[in-house]
Amino acid sequence: MPLLELKGIIKFFGKLAALENIDLQVNKGEILGIVGPNGSGKTTLINLISGYYRPTRGTIYFDGRKISGLRPDQIARLGIVRTFQSNVLFEGASVIESMMISSRLQYKTNEWQAFWETKAYKDEHEKIVGNALNTLRFVNIFNETFRPAAALPHGFQRMLGIGVALAANPSVLLIDEPTTGMNHEEAMGVVENIREINKQGVTVVLIEHNMRVLLNIATRVIVLNFGNKIADGDPHEMMSKPEVVEAYLGTETL
Amino acid sequence: MIIGRYYIDHKSVVPKIVIGALIALVAIFPLFTTNMVTLSIIILSGIWAIAVMGFLLILRTGQFSLGQAAFMAIGGYVSAILTVKMGMSYWPSFVAAGIISGVIAFIIGIVVLRAGGIYFSIITIAFGEIVRIVAMNWESVTQGASGILTHAPESLTVGNLEINFAASVVPYYYFMLLLVTVSALFYWQIDRTRIGGTFRSVAANPVLAEHLGINLMKHRLIAFTVAGLFTGLAGAYYVTFLSVMNPLIFDLWKSVQIMMMTIVGGMGSIVGGPIIGATLLYTLGIYLSRVPIPNIQYLVFGGVVVLLLLVLPKGTGLVDQWGKLWRRVFGEPEDFQMPGEEGMDEE
Repeated sequence: MPLLELKGIIKFFGKLAALENIDLQVNKGEILGIVGPNGSGKTTLINLISGYYRPTRGTIYFDGRKISGLRPDQIARLGIVRTFQSNVLFEGASVIESMMISSRLQYKTNEWQAFWETKAYKDEHEKIVGNALNTLRFVNIFNETFRPAAALPHGFQRMLGIGVALAANPSVLLIDEPTTGMNHEEAMGVVENIREINKQGVTVVLIEHNMRVLLNIATRVIVLNFGNKIADGDPHEMMSKPEVVEAYLGTETL
Repeated sequence: MIIGRYYIDHKSVVPKIVIGALIALVAIFPLFTTNMVTLSIIILSGIWAIAVMGFLLILRTGQFSLGQAAFMAIGGYVSAILTVKMGMSYWPSFVAAGIISGVIAFIIGIVVLRAGGIYFSIITIAFGEIVRIVAMNWESVTQGASGILTHAPESLTVGNLEINFAASVVPYYYFMLLLVTVSALFYWQIDRTRIGGTFRSVAANPVLAEHLGINLMKHRLIAFTVAGLFTGLAGAYYVTFLSVMNPLIFDLWKSVQIMMMTIVGGMGSIVGGPIIGATLLYTLGIYLSRVPIPNIQYLVFGGVVVLLLLVLPKGTGLVDQWGKLWRRVFGEPEDFQMPGEEGMDEE
């Protein structure tokens, strides 16, 4: 059984179809790349899975359970966490503060224990702060721990985005264009991160424009064009298919 | 805005000894004067401060409530009706006022918190007006515009000390201190621990917070309900101190005044700001009411708020400014102690 399954997903914005009848399965443990030209519906797809949008028609299942129609926070609590295409931050928060907000799901103690600062809460809290610092180390921005997140350079903010998503304990991580605006070295760091995240058992769905990055790490690729899935399979095979090349480069007209 | 420092030990800007001295001074103040007017001003300032803390707690979740005076009205009416009409003694009615006000906040919150931003503010204004109009017209219960005359609370006996509320204003003063202390500790503890940080994240970026598993509605509702509860208690105490309750005591202007007090005191500290803001503005209001110019209070309050917002555009009121000044004069508070640091290997 696939871990995440989209059945007959249709999404309209007014009269404009963003996605037309998408069927998609995400298997446990894979890195699924989603590619397609601008406006092909990649981000819409992630917005639907994460609950930001509701599908006009169709159903999304996670682990056999219907999740379409749930709120984003309910879906996040099930273990599906996303990053954003642009740098989305908590205004005014430092890096560690942002991490601690997203570490909320790691706490087992309830609000009342936190309010009274019981020993159980304090012990747990200390452990989770440690986790957050380790995650910052992992995404290579440990030196920025106490800086305001908004003051970080663009590349670091992208990495923080991944760190923040990781702190929310995902079993499926939806990553929307992690390397945009990064230099080569930073991008390679992120690629390594994603590979390592996946190795630790997290299923990854990845939107990426940079083909070199994507071919490097994806175990499977689907191609979207005008809201339709036009290809699904091995990354290297995909790139030689005529309809994929056409979607990307256009048909040659003489 | 800084998202709670609940992850590290937070050292206050002002040393504990200064805060302690201030509290001690307030506690022994009636030894210096038992002047009815002076003590009344302090008592009512304290009651307003509780309502302002509630406003600020709701603001922490990003919602701007302009109906907070309505919860004081609800608390006041519950207490007045239970004591005068139903013959209950004051103290149980005081507790009931808090609980009923909290329950109403919870129910109203479920409906109005669905609306965000400016729409929420508008609906809370409407809610305040509804409460006022109901109080005005439901004469069999509220006695309409003529209002309800309330009694002083019954005497309390603690050990062999008898506390008689009818004889002097001093017992009111000390009960106000107790009430402010309990509410302040409660608000402060919420604000500085995990839930306060979550509140701020809901305000700072609701979309991101929701995608990280935070239930926006739940947190907004907690803030609104807690504020409703303590504001109701404040209202019940206000009414027994004034010994009258009518629909005009807690009108829209009072809700606006709560907002103004928040701006004057500042939004950095959930305890310091409201106490300073409420005291300054309430005292100013009392002195202005002696000036023989009609409605001068509205004019001056409006002017003060406009001026503050021009000078301190980010809504940092006086307390935050004093914090800055303090740091400039006495230096930064000691550095953060990072927990778990010793257990980690440096790379």
